[in-house]
Amino acid sequence: MNLAGIEAGYNYFAPNVPGGYKLVFELHYPDGRVEYELPSVSSHAAGLRIQGLLDGIGRIQHDVLREHLVKTLTQSAWREHPDVKMIRAVFGAISLPSITEFKHGKRASYQFLYAYDFSLEKPAEPKDR
Amino acid sequence: MQSLRQRLFEFLFPAETDIWLTILRFGLGLQTTLYSLSLRRDWNELLGGAGIGSRDLAEALLSVEGHLVPRLGWFVALGEHLGLREETVLAIAWICLLAAGCGLLLGLASRLSAILAWFLHLCAAGSGGFVSYGVDNFMTIGLFYLMLSPLPDRYSLDWLLRERRPRDPQHLGFWRRVLQLHLCVIYFFSGLTKCLGTGWWNGSSIWRALIRPPFNVIDPEILVRGAFVLPIVGVVICLLETSYPFFIWSSKTRNIWLIAICAMHVGIGLTMGMYLFALIMIILNVAAFGPRFGLRKAANRLTSGYRKRTHKLAGTEHSFHCAPSSVHTSLLISTVATSVLRIRSTKG
Repeated sequence: MNLAGIEAGYNYFAPNVPGGYKLVFELHYPDGRVEYELPSVSSHAAGLRIQGLLDGIGRIQHDVLREHLVKTLTQSAWREHPDVKMIRAVFGAISLPSITEFKHGKRASYQFLYAYDFSLEKPAEPKDR
Repeated sequence: MQSLRQRLFEFLFPAETDIWLTILRFGLGLQTTLYSLSLRRDWNELLGGAGIGSRDLAEALLSVEGHLVPRLGWFVALGEHLGLREETVLAIAWICLLAAGCGLLLGLASRLSAILAWFLHLCAAGSGGFVSYGVDNFMTIGLFYLMLSPLPDRYSLDWLLRERRPRDPQHLGFWRRVLQLHLCVIYFFSGLTKCLGTGWWNGSSIWRALIRPPFNVIDPEILVRGAFVLPIVGVVICLLETSYPFFIWSSKTRNIWLIAICAMHVGIGLTMGMYLFALIMIILNVAAFGPRFGLRKAANRLTSGYRKRTHKLAGTEHSFHCAPSSVHTSLLISTVATSVLRIRSTKG
């Protein structure tokens, strides 16, 4: 069944719907300018897959594996902005408000989890948790 | 005991037309085509060795599961031997997948198209393990059963142009039954797991699912106005999925459950933007439990030849869904079925 690929179950959003994750790129240009960008793809279908990847990264307990996945996402951003000096990838959890909280004005918030600095000269340096 | 085995045999090999197979083939052809087209611009980015999907890493993890698990890396390695770049190999794989989808849509080279679509999609889903989700699992399941089913169906181009006919029409019922059982297991455990979460009983899971990026298609301000509906929707989904295996079999409740479960998937597609996921679930459900148009007439036509043959051989009329000689040829039929088969042959 594993070889055939038919062993997978259907337990999405069960038993409860988890919160999401978000990755923001901080693009540092040589002239000191800083821009912010999200991982981008061309289609909505691919966007769903990227969100799945971010959720997967959020669940990973292994630091090296998480860093590797963030790095590959960062490389994609780098290809689009080749003149950037350094990219800081900031990974965080999205905290969703309950219905009651939303009625009282609370909106989805972003909780910092990890940040990685990537530059062409130096290897990745985990900064904080 | 013998009666029990006979009933089990009759349950596993019911009389069936190929309408469900037409739905499955056409539906999966459409799904595969749309899947390929939706990823056409991101295919290389998602599945490239150093792309977003970290194919190299995903395939390394696949190797832990087993070296025979299909992956795109095999084609990339083969391409390297032939002097082809990774991008070229991936582009060829995408074109082949699209062609297989179109082949299934038209029913042209149905079996080859089904095998190609299943294998390439499985490779893509495995190699893009980090960027795959539910739609990939269910496409693989659907394509797997499709390639094993007795293709071609009567509405395919193969049937019209090449006059190719499946030699074992009684397998139609068996493969539909397997798909039906698989869906029942899937929905039952999905519903049961949801029932264990408090969020599905008080509506908070529905709320979170609908406001969670990138599924936040509906403005939360609109959702808040209809907040009283959310707990009802959550409970209905739990009950609908858990009770699926119990109510989908009875002819009295089948259509109600089928319509309800399809409506649920339409709702998921429209409110969460998961169109391909909704489509594949609807295809599998309609193929598995959709109406059995013209069953009696078609079954009689398909099996009339077999009846004549068994009269000659044994002098006794068997029910039309029992075809021992052809059942023996199937490698995938369970031991239970074959043991029942021997008893029936002895009886004849």
